[in-house]
Amino acid sequence: MTIEMLTPNIGTAAMEDRDRVDYRGLRAARHERVTALMDRLGLDALMLGREANVRYASGARRLWTASSRPFGPTCVVVRATGRVHLMTFSASYEGAPEEVPFEDVFCNSFNPGKLLEALLAIPGLDRAARIGVDGFSVFMRDFLPNAVPQAQFIGVADELQALRRTKLPAELDAIRIAISIAESALYAAAREVRDGVSEKTLQAAYLDRMCTLGTSQFAQQGTFSVIAADGSIRWITGNGAVRDGDLVVLAGGALWAGYEGSLARTWSAGTPSPTHRRRHERWQRVIDALRAASRPGATGADLVAAHEATGEATPPMPIAYSVGLGHEGPIAGSSLGVQFDRNQRLEAGNVIALRTHVRGDGGGYFGEDMIYVGDDKSELLTTLGYGV
Amino acid sequence: MDNSAQPQTIDASTIDFARMRHERRARLRAAMHSSGLDAVVLLGPSNHNYVGIGRAFADAARVHHETVTVVFRADGAIHVWTPFPEAVNDVDVAQVHREIPLEYDEGVDALARAIREIVPGASRIGFDELTSPMLGLLPAALPGVEIVDAGIAIGPARLCKTRDEIECMRGAQRINEIAMYDVEAALRPGVRQNELSAILFRRAFELGVTWSCIDPIWNITPPARALGTRTTNGDVGFPLASNDRFIREGDLVLPDTGLVWNGYHSDFGKTWICSVDPKPSPALRDCYRRWCDVIATAYAAIKPGRSCGDIARDVAAVEAEYRLQQFYLAHGAGCDSAEPPFIGSELGPEYEDTVELVPGMTFVLEPVIWVDGVGGYRSEEVVGVTEDGYERLSTYGYTPFE
Repeated sequence: MTIEMLTPNIGTAAMEDRDRVDYRGLRAARHERVTALMDRLGLDALMLGREANVRYASGARRLWTASSRPFGPTCVVVRATGRVHLMTFSASYEGAPEEVPFEDVFCNSFNPGKLLEALLAIPGLDRAARIGVDGFSVFMRDFLPNAVPQAQFIGVADELQALRRTKLPAELDAIRIAISIAESALYAAAREVRDGVSEKTLQAAYLDRMCTLGTSQFAQQGTFSVIAADGSIRWITGNGAVRDGDLVVLAGGALWAGYEGSLARTWSAGTPSPTHRRRHERWQRVIDALRAASRPGATGADLVAAHEATGEATPPMPIAYSVGLGHEGPIAGSSLGVQFDRNQRLEAGNVIALRTHVRGDGGGYFGEDMIYVGDDKSELLTTLGYGV
Repeated sequence: MDNSAQPQTIDASTIDFARMRHERRARLRAAMHSSGLDAVVLLGPSNHNYVGIGRAFADAARVHHETVTVVFRADGAIHVWTPFPEAVNDVDVAQVHREIPLEYDEGVDALARAIREIVPGASRIGFDELTSPMLGLLPAALPGVEIVDAGIAIGPARLCKTRDEIECMRGAQRINEIAMYDVEAALRPGVRQNELSAILFRRAFELGVTWSCIDPIWNITPPARALGTRTTNGDVGFPLASNDRFIREGDLVLPDTGLVWNGYHSDFGKTWICSVDPKPSPALRDCYRRWCDVIATAYAAIKPGRSCGDIARDVAAVEAEYRLQQFYLAHGAGCDSAEPPFIGSELGPEYEDTVELVPGMTFVLEPVIWVDGVGGYRSEEVVGVTEDGYERLSTYGYTPFE
């Protein structure tokens, strides 16, 4: 896969001459990939509950809710019929793509009897022997055999994630929009970093700008917090006031059509000090090394090695993770160990976030950038300055 | 700390957060004892909040990767694995560990090893959720352990709120309402849905809201079912996702938002008219009057000792069709935006008659009066059951209907 090196025309409005994102083609291509995966794994049906997987398989624009939803099968894909069945909270057809007919939409219910009725009405599900799932509540584990007593349930979250990691061209287009929104929102917060402003006001400025640009679906509500004298970070945005000379972590992300754009910077209240600039240089050296190592075929372990080779301490957090329909799993530096990192192999078409946290001289710099891994070189997708 | 530079925030001085954590954990221990659980393993943010473990942000697409895992033993010992250690309260620092992503076999192996060590010889452990690899690996990794629904303990524990929890709900609702005054003032012809979300978030986050857990809903509601989106139940489409849609003169707008403060959910629902001069028609005003009768009847029905089924029956005697089909007369609220108890719901009277009202229960009454061709009136009222009746936790008025 080669990357489009022309300056992209990024915006949110529809254009009369061409689509900024070919959503129709995107939905068809994703559906084809999901079908091929089902064939490869010998699955007769998928029962999906995680929003990103549902979006990938169905293309539905549903009401966005945050924090964990107990698992329920809100999207059912049946291989024999090729149909995608969608559950909605509002009983409404709005938000379902045109290729999912009205007849294939069913309404969410707290009543297990009604859910059972809806599942039994899905053609072909009663003959599904192998059903892939991406998680379960214990209740559903015990309940779903009532609907499909013949079926064996198989966890396929990792296969779905692997599928999602390599991006289609239209996915990259949507990610560029999400990043542009996230950058604009983060900069709106950065411009309010000054003596006396509260951390919550920075978060409010960020969310205000994101919503004004057209999406109130954040990938995360963000971290806007003053770095401690030992350089450590608080992830929770507080009520405290920023003081002149403070270093403020600005981290956040937006979703566009479900795709995530995220980034982080460390901004100085008042004129950036030479020490702040030096810490940024140390941070930049690490990110440059990570980016250089992020080539097709490289593993998460190679990225950890590249970080270590800079002489900077590796922070206790993933230093690389996949980004797409939200967070798509750690690649390097998670708590899952060296073997896990060795098993994470980058491919052309991946979109990943690189981040690190350097500390010292009475402060710290935390920052995160997103890159596209191309065949022969990577592209830096995030463009906002670094506050130095 | 010098607070002079902070924006106006909600008074939290009446809330004893340490007492709240202590009392909630005691309730969970008692419920675990009753249901014979040796431990519960909690993956869900609302359950984490209940045991006093937070996360930095709510998120739609990251929660399963920036995983927080809590093991709560029957004797009250707590172990936490989290990327957000500063959100952990009253837990021995030696029992706070780095996060273990449970979407991967390696993470599930690590969790199983930890459980075997923390709860040796356990025979029954409750889980609130099973990730894909947990589904396959846990039964073999925890031999001799019966894996059951953690809800059998945490559900009863969470059903009735302590005094501090009720104050958290009051505060969450108050912030949501203060922000809504700004939004209602901005609801004029030509505003877009996303602009209203911007106003809401700007004010609410300045006031200290920690999370928004639902994309703000600004439901542009047609006067007749046939003029709106198709629905599977033939009823009016609600709630519909927001975007950059224009709100125009005469539009009936039903907002619905849920903001979280200190782990507790607010729920704001109203009926507004977008206009340079918002004035409901006589027919719409009549819907509002009927809604007032319904809500007064519901309030009067709330007494400890009566059942959820009783409230629904009292209201149905006044107004047979008091809700949209996909909604209830009331749903509980607390650490989740919708949780037990359910009143006038599709669970049916046989079930609801078994649920007795107890002081400390909190729920959101959300009746709707709909007259097809006219439109309807909906408002959400957050209430708590008291020793002798109820108290309202929501305070917002009924403009432009009053």
